[in-house]
Amino acid sequence: MIPEALFERSLNHLLRQSPGATEALRRHAGSSVRFDLTLAQFDCRIADDGCFSEAVVDIPDAVIRPTPALLARLPFFGRDAWRFAEYSGDPALLATLDRVFKQLNWDVEADLAPLVGDIAAHRLHTMGRGALAGIAHTASALGHNASEYLVEEAELMARGVDVARFNHEVDLLADGVARLDARLRLLEALRPLQEAQARTV
Amino acid sequence: MDKTTHFGYKQVAESEKAAKVAEVFHSVAAQYDVMNDLMSAGLHRLWKRFAVAQAGLRPGMKVLDVAGGTADLTRLFLKEVGETGTVLLTDINFSMLREGRDRMLNEGKTPPTVQCDGERLPFPDNYFDCVSVAFGLRNMTHKDQALAEMNRVLKPGGRLLVLEFSKVWKPLEPAYDLYSFKLLPLMGKLVANDAGSYQYLAESIRMHPGQEELKAMMETAGFAKVSFHNLTAGVVALHKGFKV
Repeated sequence: MIPEALFERSLNHLLRQSPGATEALRRHAGSSVRFDLTLAQFDCRIADDGCFSEAVVDIPDAVIRPTPALLARLPFFGRDAWRFAEYSGDPALLATLDRVFKQLNWDVEADLAPLVGDIAAHRLHTMGRGALAGIAHTASALGHNASEYLVEEAELMARGVDVARFNHEVDLLADGVARLDARLRLLEALRPLQEAQARTV
Repeated sequence: MDKTTHFGYKQVAESEKAAKVAEVFHSVAAQYDVMNDLMSAGLHRLWKRFAVAQAGLRPGMKVLDVAGGTADLTRLFLKEVGETGTVLLTDINFSMLREGRDRMLNEGKTPPTVQCDGERLPFPDNYFDCVSVAFGLRNMTHKDQALAEMNRVLKPGGRLLVLEFSKVWKPLEPAYDLYSFKLLPLMGKLVANDAGSYQYLAESIRMHPGQEELKAMMETAGFAKVSFHNLTAGVVALHKGFKV
């Protein structure tokens, strides 16, 4: 009961914050959508005002199923990660949902403002954004350092250029082997003919 | 002979129950909110907020608050549905309804207020987006009929919320019984000068169907996807169902 209500409220809140989102969904009022999150399923119907309303649905018009690829990318790529979700059902409805979800944007500052005031909300939001950017930068720097250590110092991993050179050499070797194989097959095929010629002579 | 039903632990004729319940609420109406705060240590406010959060309301929706009494839920619903929405406050008991109406007027709000029986709702079919009954179903003589009426007035896809006392978690039962049958009537006597009404409250809670029974009743009345959530270890449960 709690997850469904939270999901419904959060989604509708985001829809109302994104200009044009409810207007786009209003064209599909009455259609049902299932969000299949593997561990839980949320069945909704698009209401006349373009918001989602929890509903009893037997066969949904569209099913959205997040994949592991989406979940892995969501924290880092945000809205862009939604293209890794699996969509099935009515193509027109899915096209609208895809467009709407890609433009969803959480206006954190607007939600904080009634609680702490405009100025504090702006500062908190800026601070939070800065902190997130700092975390992303740190993660990227750590990743870069780790890869440099593994490749250059510990030599546990090969550099990209070495891998490419090795692959090229393997390709050359494979080509040489294929040529030799073809030559041997040709010689094998010619041998009975040469033996017959030798007996005739 | 008239069929009988329970009024607390007593058996009374079905035709008498409504009048006896009315007596109780006429008696407690003036002190109802104070006693609610006192008896639940303010928790009833959280239970009601939780119920409203489950209603999925949006601006413009139509809500019916059955047995709304002193308008606790109505006030919260009004915030959700905004100026374009409608919340109808109803109660069978005039004293309770007057408390609720006056309270709303004092806050500068004028929701439509209707005195009516939850078992015979004077509203058209398929009209409301949400119907709620908080701490009211327990006092109704024919609960199945009341649930069927709520189902009738809901739009298809609309939801019913039933917030009601329920069966408490087993290990807490002895303490809960002690509180209900000893402390509650005493508090009623000291604060509202009415021990009998609070004795009835404790007894009526014990006679009310438990979580699973109420869920089954809602399903029988035609609701689908019925679920319930225990609050405060089952002292109260919120049941939610959808009209299909």
